[in-house]
Order: sequence, then structure tokens, then C-alpha cells
Amino acid sequence: MSSLVKCPHCGLRPREEFTIRGEVATPRPSAGADEAVWFDHVYLRDNPRGEHREYWHHSGGCRRWLVLSRNTLTHETSEVVDASTLKLGGGA
Amino acid sequence: MRDYPLENRSAFSPSVAAGAAINLAPVTGGFVIHVLGDAKSDEAALKQVLAKIAPELGADVRKSAPNQWFWVGDADVSSERLTEIQAGLSNQFALADQTHGRVRMILSGPSSRTVLAKGTMVDLSADQYAIGQSAMTQIGHIGAMITRVEDDSFELIVLRSFAGSLWDELHHMMAEFR
Repeated sequence: MSSLVKCPHCGLRPREEFTIRGEVATPRPSAGADEAVWFDHVYLRDNPRGEHREYWHHSGGCRRWLVLSRNTLTHETSEVVDASTLKLGGGA
Repeated sequence: MRDYPLENRSAFSPSVAAGAAINLAPVTGGFVIHVLGDAKSDEAALKQVLAKIAPELGADVRKSAPNQWFWVGDADVSSERLTEIQAGLSNQFALADQTHGRVRMILSGPSSRTVLAKGTMVDLSADQYAIGQSAMTQIGHIGAMITRVEDDSFELIVLRSFAGSLWDELHHMMAEFR
């Protein structure tokens, strides 16, 4: 497993400097959505084989939230971006 | 408000005489100020404005995160002076005095890189890590900023409540070189 993560602000850092928050959730349902839809959104998570997007916090470095694309088979990380860029059109 | 001025004095004393293969010494006096910039701020602009409004303090700023820096120096800064400096900065930058919240220490000597390599994975080799370069990282489990200040000399900035722990840890890491 690759234990190095390329933080867009700090460069290559060990996995120990990061806290993993989990999967980047699907877009939030509308307020009036069905209870079942909300249940899915809040509690149900996929366990994909392959590419997976997760929130990682660089708690030991710049303290920024990052979005990381990780392959769950090889643990290779392909793309790491600052989470704030999602607001600018990267999509969730 | 406190009734008497705090004295900025380190609880640690230098461990080995200077010139030894490895030496750890606290930095006494001086200031550490956390500078928070807005989204459009940049380091060049910060250095420029600091040189203009506080030339006596130098502009030794180290990036800790996007739009955040630690501004350090060896002079003592009164809270009145700090208020003056803040007033002179545009709204682009906010200052938070960390002088009493963070401890600076210097690890020096030919073995300093080997000692730090036991705790951090940042590549501190002379050809990778220039003098003046710094990184916010961890030494063991303790968050610290490592700055190369001279050829074989690194300044560590650590939260005060972790300083004693880091100091002890470094002594263990240094043991084989003494």
C-alpha cells in the first residue's frame, strides 16, 4: 500500500499525518424528500471495488480538508485536491 | 487582563555544549505571531507590508497552511506594538500572538538530520531542503514546524503544552550521538 499522499499544499506526506473522514457523499436530497431517500443518504454507503473518493483531513500538516481519489484494490491515490475546490464547480 | 507582564522564559536549558555532534537548545525571547490572510493574500505582499510597518522585527514568515503563516523573530514585541502593527495592516491580514503559546527550539549539529529522520518523513537533505525552508509536519505524534535555519541546524516550533514531551522525545532520539 502506498503510504504517501501528495497534499496539494505540502507535497508528499505520510498517511499518518492524515485523518480519514470517509466517502464523499452523494448530493444532499431535497428537504422534502422521502424518508427512505434520506435514510439512504445518511446511513447507507457503498463498498466499491476500484476508484473511490474520500474526504481526508491533513491534520498533521496544513490542516486543510482534501478530496482524494483512491483505488480500493491497489490503494493507489490518483487525484488529490483541496475540498474547497468542490464548491467552485468540481461537483460532490 | 493580567496585572503584571509575563516573562518569556524557557523552562528548558541547553543540553550539550555548542559544537557537539548534536545539540538541543531552547530559543529564549523573541516572538511567534500567527498571520491569517484572506483568500487572495500572498506571501510576497505580506513580507512587503511587514517590512514597511515593522522594519525592526524583520519579515521572517513561514507558511503553515494556505494563506497562513508564522511570523517569527528574536526581538520582544509588546502588546501595544502588536496593536500598532495590526492597525497598520490592511484587513487582508489578521495577527494572533502565539509567543506564549508556541515554543521554539534549535536542534543543531552534523547528526541533526539523522535525529529528525527518526521522527518525521519530510526529506531534510541539504539538496532538497534549502536554508530558510520550512514545513508543518509531525515529529512522532507531535505537530511541529521544522525550519532549516543554517547548514546543519533546524528550528522547531511546537505548541507549548507539547514542548516538554517533544524535548524528552528528542533527547531519546539524540542519545546515540552523545
